[in-house]
Amino acid sequence: MIRIAGMMLMMIMFGSVPAWGGETILIGAAGPITGDQGKMGTDIANGVKLAAEDWNARGGVLGRKIEVVEGDDQHDPKQAVSVANKFVNLGVVGSIGHFNSSCSIPASQILFDAGEITQITPASTNPQFTDRGLSSTFRVCGRDEQQGGAAAQHVLKKMSVRRVAVLHDKTTYGQGLADEFVKSLKAGGIEPVYYGGIVQGDKDFNAVLTMLKQKDPQVLFFGGIYPEAGLLTRQAREQGMNLTFISGDGTIDPEYLKIAGPAAEGALLTFTRDQRKIPEAQAVITRYEAKYGPFGAYSIYAYSAADILLQAIQRAGSTDSKKINAELHKGEFKTSIGTVRFDARGDISESPFVIWRVDGGKFVQLEETP
Amino acid sequence: MFFQQLVNGLTIGGVYALIALGYTMVYGIIELINFAHGEIYMIGAYAGIIAIAAAQTLIAGGIPPIAAVALALLAAMLVCAAYGFTMEKLAYRPLRHAPRLSPLISALGVSIFLQNFIMIAQGTRDKVFPHLFENTVAFDLGSVRVSLIQIAIIVGCFMMMALLHLVIQHTKIGTAMRATAQDKTAAALCGIHVDHVISVTFMIGSLLAGAAGVMIAMYYGLVNYSIGYLAGIKAFTAAVLGGIGNIPGAMIGGMILGLLESFGAGYISPEYKDVIAFSILILVLLIKPSGLLGENLAEKA
Repeated sequence: MIRIAGMMLMMIMFGSVPAWGGETILIGAAGPITGDQGKMGTDIANGVKLAAEDWNARGGVLGRKIEVVEGDDQHDPKQAVSVANKFVNLGVVGSIGHFNSSCSIPASQILFDAGEITQITPASTNPQFTDRGLSSTFRVCGRDEQQGGAAAQHVLKKMSVRRVAVLHDKTTYGQGLADEFVKSLKAGGIEPVYYGGIVQGDKDFNAVLTMLKQKDPQVLFFGGIYPEAGLLTRQAREQGMNLTFISGDGTIDPEYLKIAGPAAEGALLTFTRDQRKIPEAQAVITRYEAKYGPFGAYSIYAYSAADILLQAIQRAGSTDSKKINAELHKGEFKTSIGTVRFDARGDISESPFVIWRVDGGKFVQLEETP
Repeated sequence: MFFQQLVNGLTIGGVYALIALGYTMVYGIIELINFAHGEIYMIGAYAGIIAIAAAQTLIAGGIPPIAAVALALLAAMLVCAAYGFTMEKLAYRPLRHAPRLSPLISALGVSIFLQNFIMIAQGTRDKVFPHLFENTVAFDLGSVRVSLIQIAIIVGCFMMMALLHLVIQHTKIGTAMRATAQDKTAAALCGIHVDHVISVTFMIGSLLAGAAGVMIAMYYGLVNYSIGYLAGIKAFTAAVLGGIGNIPGAMIGGMILGLLESFGAGYISPEYKDVIAFSILILVLLIKPSGLLGENLAEKA
């Protein structure tokens, strides 16, 4: 019943969003707000709310007040679809979200079909989000291949190594990341000595490490998430392997340090720039922390995504989704994460990934460019 | 590489064997596949972590690593024995004379209950077992490197299995267990308190699983609420491979499964290690359906 009612509402509203906006301008903030990834969704929602507040303090956009609606997808793609439908029904001008690629992708289709409603994700890195050629999808974070590329460039240019082994956890994220790493590595003239998968959830990697030990790798790249990354790092050290462990943003979690223990020292990870080192971000960080406590990995990205959306609305001079998308595609936006330009797909044109290292039991950013 | 994989395989195999013993003992005595047994192993790992954390907070200056391990093992074994006893009393005893399917479903229910209970009580994030020892390398010959924990696990598993063998073959309660396994009615006629023997069987199986849980938590340094599932399936497989209901069979089955996984991953493909191990299991069962050391159980089934 609700579904039918929703579809009818959608049909009535199709194409009529701009005329329907009324006095306030609604923007959606979507992500896993409850559940085990609840912190991520809350961070996103808080970032968007803070941006709306800052704009409202300056008189809103197009002279109208901005209001934020939250959508909780509980990192479930099915919930993400109903969140997107809810946003369409409420008549949002744009949506900031989601966190997980598996949620952002189905949601983007609903928003596109409902009149090309703009969606900007602050966190989803899977290429499929923008590769489907939808005019209304944008992201302010990087793509998986930029991340794999950044790690490979570091290995090629900053480390004098020849023997590189590559493992992944066979997930969309992990294998995708490992594949992109290998692609860039081969382009730079290094052929991995080993490439293979492990099972996510497994705890014992001694067998595969013993086999790797025969090939004496100097670098072990792992595409995957922190529990397996931590165990691999630790078990490799226990087997007496002397290598540099490299992984992606799925590993940059305090749990990784706890699981791997002292073996984590010197491990390299790709992640976005340290936001405390971005001059433009400082004012936002101060206000964010005063209001919501310590900022999360994607809080400031969510703030910037909302900021960009509102700037585009201002420039378009209307809430017509097609005009907003056109502005996003052609313009340059000054935000708290620096100046942002979108390419034809809707990705930011510059790779945001840099190398971090584990130093004294902490993650430390190595340099500004990889 | 061969020797290293042998050590890797024996370590994991020893743990499978300890858990498999619980499956096989319970099956031998009441013909029930206790699917909640993997959860007991998981609870053992948590009990160990909690005991160490409690001791380190309560005792000023902390406790020496060896004492911490002993404490964790003791706590896990006690807690697990209590869980095993309660589980049998609440979920299986009332169904003793029900159709065979009922206790099996009850076991699945207990498994889901315990997993979710721990998930809610302890959270979904992984728990980290404290790094107790600074230098864990026992000996290092370049290509072969064996850690103290690996040696401790292998030795510990063999000691516990030997102890269990002594208990079953040479004590009064062991004799009673064997008698109950053979024929419950006849055993009762001889004055054996069958319910009591079944409770003890559950407790012994559970305390072995609890010890296995602590060993694994210490070895990998990582525990979460879902580890019981995979370990339970593997150990059950080991029990079937060795011949379910047969105690030496469970020990041998566990070791063989551990070695198969380790050599399969090392020499053929790490991605296919479970496929290799389970293909061999199917082959063995096709040739010898009752398992390696299993007797024909036709008259019991």
